[in-house]
Amino acid sequence: MKLPSYRLNRFISALVVYTVLIVFAGIMLFPFIYMLTTSFKLPADTFRYPPRVLPRDPITTQVIGYTDALPLYYVDDHGTQKEYALARSNIQVGTFAAPDSLSATVEKYLTEVKPTGGAMTQKTVMVNGKEEKLYDVEANGKIVPMVLLSTTTVGEFVDPQNPGVKLYQNVRLSQPVEKISAHPENYNDVIALQGIDRALTNTILVTILVTLGQMATSVVGGYAFARLKFPGRDSIFVFYLGTIMIPFVMFIVPLYQLMVVIGWTDRLAALIVPWIFTAYGTFLMRQHFITFPKEIEEAALIDGASRFQILWQIIIPASIPALATQGTFTFLYAWNSFLWPLVVINVGNEKNHVLTLALNVLRGRASDTPNLILAGAAIAILPPLIVFILGQRFFVESVASSGVKG
Amino acid sequence: MKHNVLWKAISLLVVAMFLLAACGPAATPAAPAIDVALRWRTRPDNQEEIKVYSDISVGLDTQLDGITLAYEPGGTEGANYQDQLRAEVAAGTAPDVFWIPGTDVADFATRGLILNIAPLAAKTDGFDVNAFYAGPMAHLTYNPEGAKSGADSGALWGLPRDVSTFALYLNLDLIKEAGAPDPRELAKAGKWDWNAFLDVAQKTRALGPDIYGYGASAWWGPYGTWLNAAGGGFFNADRTACALNTPESLAGLDFQRSLYADFDVATPYGEDPEPPFRAGKVAMFQNGRWATPGVRTVPFNWDVVELPNGPQGTPGNWLFWGAYVINAKTAHPEEAWKLVQALTTAETQGKVAALGANIPSRVSQQALDAFLTFTPPTNNQAFLNGIADAAKPTAEGPLWAGSWPEYDKVVGPAVQSVLTGGTSVADFGATICDEANKVFTK
Amino acid sequence: MKLIPQRFTEPNFLLRLLVIWRMVFAALAAGGILAAWLIAALPLWQQILITAALGLAGGFSLAAIPDIRRRNHRGRTISLFVDYLAFVASAVILLSVGNVFVGIDALGETFSRGIPALGVILLGYIITTTSEFSPRVNTIAPGANYLDIAGKWVMLAGAAYFLLAVQAPSGLLYFLTKILQPAGLLALVGVLVFGLGLWMMGNKPVANEMGSHAHNEQMLSGWLFLSPNLLGFLVFFAGPLLLSFYFSFTDSDAFNTPHFIGLANYARIINITFRPLSSATQLAKDLVDIKTYDEVGRLIFGNTGILFAAEDKFFWLALKNTLTFALFAVPLSVLPALLLANILNSKLPGMKFFRAVYFMPSIAAIVGISLVWQWLYNATVGFINYAITLGVDFWNNLFNAGLIDPRIQWVSDEKTALLAIIIIAAWQTMGFNTVLFLAGLQNIPGELYEAATVDGATPWHKFRFITIPLLAPSTFYVLTTTTISAMQIFEQVFILMNPPEGPNNATITLVLYLYRSGFQNFKQGYASAIAWILFIVIFGITLIQFKQQRKSGVYEN
Repeated sequence: MKLPSYRLNRFISALVVYTVLIVFAGIMLFPFIYMLTTSFKLPADTFRYPPRVLPRDPITTQVIGYTDALPLYYVDDHGTQKEYALARSNIQVGTFAAPDSLSATVEKYLTEVKPTGGAMTQKTVMVNGKEEKLYDVEANGKIVPMVLLSTTTVGEFVDPQNPGVKLYQNVRLSQPVEKISAHPENYNDVIALQGIDRALTNTILVTILVTLGQMATSVVGGYAFARLKFPGRDSIFVFYLGTIMIPFVMFIVPLYQLMVVIGWTDRLAALIVPWIFTAYGTFLMRQHFITFPKEIEEAALIDGASRFQILWQIIIPASIPALATQGTFTFLYAWNSFLWPLVVINVGNEKNHVLTLALNVLRGRASDTPNLILAGAAIAILPPLIVFILGQRFFVESVASSGVKG
Repeated sequence: MKHNVLWKAISLLVVAMFLLAACGPAATPAAPAIDVALRWRTRPDNQEEIKVYSDISVGLDTQLDGITLAYEPGGTEGANYQDQLRAEVAAGTAPDVFWIPGTDVADFATRGLILNIAPLAAKTDGFDVNAFYAGPMAHLTYNPEGAKSGADSGALWGLPRDVSTFALYLNLDLIKEAGAPDPRELAKAGKWDWNAFLDVAQKTRALGPDIYGYGASAWWGPYGTWLNAAGGGFFNADRTACALNTPESLAGLDFQRSLYADFDVATPYGEDPEPPFRAGKVAMFQNGRWATPGVRTVPFNWDVVELPNGPQGTPGNWLFWGAYVINAKTAHPEEAWKLVQALTTAETQGKVAALGANIPSRVSQQALDAFLTFTPPTNNQAFLNGIADAAKPTAEGPLWAGSWPEYDKVVGPAVQSVLTGGTSVADFGATICDEANKVFTK
Repeated sequence: MKLIPQRFTEPNFLLRLLVIWRMVFAALAAGGILAAWLIAALPLWQQILITAALGLAGGFSLAAIPDIRRRNHRGRTISLFVDYLAFVASAVILLSVGNVFVGIDALGETFSRGIPALGVILLGYIITTTSEFSPRVNTIAPGANYLDIAGKWVMLAGAAYFLLAVQAPSGLLYFLTKILQPAGLLALVGVLVFGLGLWMMGNKPVANEMGSHAHNEQMLSGWLFLSPNLLGFLVFFAGPLLLSFYFSFTDSDAFNTPHFIGLANYARIINITFRPLSSATQLAKDLVDIKTYDEVGRLIFGNTGILFAAEDKFFWLALKNTLTFALFAVPLSVLPALLLANILNSKLPGMKFFRAVYFMPSIAAIVGISLVWQWLYNATVGFINYAITLGVDFWNNLFNAGLIDPRIQWVSDEKTALLAIIIIAAWQTMGFNTVLFLAGLQNIPGELYEAATVDGATPWHKFRFITIPLLAPSTFYVLTTTTISAMQIFEQVFILMNPPEGPNNATITLVLYLYRSGFQNFKQGYASAIAWILFIVIFGITLIQFKQQRKSGVYEN
């Protein structure tokens, strides 16, 4: 009796585990999916309620007797659903009732009724203490003077195959016939709208230079900390360690003033040069190099290799994973940074915008077109995501190891 | 091994060297410039506006001898347009001529960020301060030393680019479907008041849970109209103290609150109503003339109507304006002044107005007649009615006795709290002026 | 083969030259100081800075002379240091005169044309690396093969193509024309002369003559290796940090000369007062001088309470919001992460896939992600409210209940605005924390669990008495980093809220207030004071966490 229940337990626990995992995966992924699908929608499709995930286009059709293509809707023809084309909308329909029996209502097109007693001398009647105009309405073959209770509008729908067959119903509540589609031109539009292409180029440029520069200075700096003994090294290292704790926002005010003094406000250089020199990267590199066996190095020194040769030919090739991790971190940081560019690059100088700044302007300028905003967001989000998906296994593992060390 | 590394080193070095060296070319000065290069900037709300101003810039470039123009679209309101400008003027990177909203003129002027062009204007033949609407010019000629306005005040901070006012953009299809009376007819018949407005809003709201009767953005303009229409306002008569706690102001705010809370006819306060309006889900959308180019693309029948009259018998509308001002640090004040004049000629204003974004700021029957022809909307008269003297519009204006941006920062969040149900109108009235009065320096 | 006659490279000759050079150097430094005070119209602080820098350099230069004469190695060290710093300075000036830094903007214009070329370089690199898997050919130099060589040529061609595409030649020409101006030439001469000084003192025979030992060489390469990072770090971070401390005592506005105003900034921030309320609705103006204080909030106990008022209410609201945010966002991103990490640590199939999925939000740009959430939060057509509506309807149908659809105005209602930000932040950091926890879990030896199972421990006991104590280092790391970044919340608020302060200042945070003070109102002195207080708060919280960690460390034993 024990074995089946054990299996059942395992099955249930696996079921629970996978349910939890899938629910969380859904939460994590949904914003990305929403971003992508919305970026392919038409603007009107984005303001629909209830919201839908996939982009859809309304279908139009040519109907004999009409010059323009007409939009297709689902209409209700005596209980069966049919696809009819909308030929005319805003046809006013009135709800009429005789003044003495207000509950017996009749619906008529306003064009079908005439004012009782003529347009200029329309008769009126008192209903519930209010004066109401009277209309001649045909009901059951008789013309009866009635009051107008309310009006609404309907559309005229025609059978595309047989334009003579017509049907009237509310247009707004009618379900349009749609097909799933995609509008990749949104990406072109957003690029044209906000100079996203230039912002993308700038972001790539800034990211590459920051990453390469930071790697270079932190590799040599980290090596010096890890392997070279010199007076002052340890106190500088303690100083470096201390500054890692300091939040970035501490620097923005004085760094901005420094940029004002050296004339780098509004310049890409301000986004690049300061970030080449970080204590954190140097610290991480030092932590990595210190684990490298000293013996190999000493042997090379005896062979007459210079320090630089040792670093370049022995240590760096053996440290590719650590370098790649740090490089990826720097890449992400440089790619995604916003506060510093916001502070230092002028809003009017779109030539020097990076993607995050372009998005910040875009959200105000294209607030009517979420499809374009989200296309812009996708341009900013996808490149790092693709890099991540390609190298995810390696990347996640090194993040884990370096993170706990740091 | 060594061979390999050497190669990599060489290619890397070459790339790095030329990467740095490549930086120069675009900084190369173009052929020695004979023309004076001027940059100018506005705060466009949408792509249509950017196109309008870019075209104007190209047009004036050929028209003005000796001046080369470069137009740059500034950020939107949400992207801190004015704050950025303050920083840029201070840092010396701001454009020579730029547009600022009327509310910010005092702040820019007292900080010394914009040029007093009165001396230049005095030397200019045929320039007349009175050619523009009096409301904006009273603020634009205000001289803090001596506290007076007018042509001889010794101060001129800029020229109004345009004027504007609120109207209700109507989704006629929704109103018809709801069987509600046509607000345009009511306005013509003089019956367009708060009750009629509420009636239309409620009837359209009843069409469905995703259809709204009314929508307005969350800033001082829309909530100000309800206060004004009830006989209240932001400031006392000489604009030296807060008047948000007067019974009239509070009554206006309370009516607006009821639209959100009691009657539930409005799009949620704080959420942008323009997207749902353009998607055909809002019957009456309160916005200025600047929204027209965008609305012209909507797929339903639409028009505009005046704001409804409040208990005082006026709609309480604003006379919005913004001005072209000159950077205090510009290297070419004379040319900048020429540009400001060129940007505000009847001809330029006509061109801009034709594209739909605004109303000419010069008072002339000719300009007004021309404005009426710039359709759609058919009922352009609604905008002119909004700024007509009979409607007693309140001119948007800066706070010379204090800081408008600070005032706005105090009041805006507090009003939002009332309209989203966080604070009662009574609590708002009890505390708001204690706080808001701190922004007045005198 | 010798290009230079032997006697010119003879150590003693070079050292004599160096002694003269050190004197010339000192004279030049003195001249520079004079020029800074007499000729150039510079702000006072720049004059002081130049005087200090040149005075130190000149002084050290002179001080090195006797040591060089005595062949004391200290003289060599000083000489190299001074020349190196001068060399770097003139190189930076040279690049700056050549518009290299400012010109990066121009590269933004041409760079896009070079991107395909970067692809070619990458291709070449891939070819070279694949060569390691192909058979070696003996006829070529050892360690190379055809693929390897071909790959390198492709890389070189790509580099050349890149240079042409980004108009490197014309850039180089421009650079050359730029540096042919007096300032450029002066800097160029500086680079050459200081470079020569470095070479004279640096070469092997001179080193030997000066009695250099291995430890001296190690010291010099240590400083040399550290110098790029250290110099940049001092200029761009350590210096500004000191500056920030100074600014916090001034009324600096970034552009005009700051005035020292003592502790006024700090005094304004911490000027707060508490007053007992006689009734819950009593107005603040009845209790405090409303000209100085604004009500920040009130604590109500039944019919009485305490009023909290401050001179700068925005700071205290910002502090309150920031702390509230951290208080909720940190547990919300850490606890689910702990759960997920424990699940992912099981050896079931598919875990790596889920790990990758959970990690994705943490690498996406916050600005972009906030825009996405803005539309998800939309009160009228957003998916979140739609999901709530569906849930409410489902519940009502199922139980015939009368739940009302809340129709939450996520970002425009002061009650939910901060919650909306908390949710995004938790969503974004959860996956990162999961991976960190997972790494910690994988370091726990499996034998411990096996032993516990043998002893009959329940899964809860194992979690409580093995996982939690042994995971303490990871937990500490996760908690501190998450808290530190939570205290700096800015971007989500700035993008999602309009205005960023949110309804009734519900989402004004410390960094947002710092940004507003420093870069909208340009009270940069005040902003610096806020920054230092923020630092103290973060430091205090980290210290508390550190103490907690120590305590749990004791428990571990």
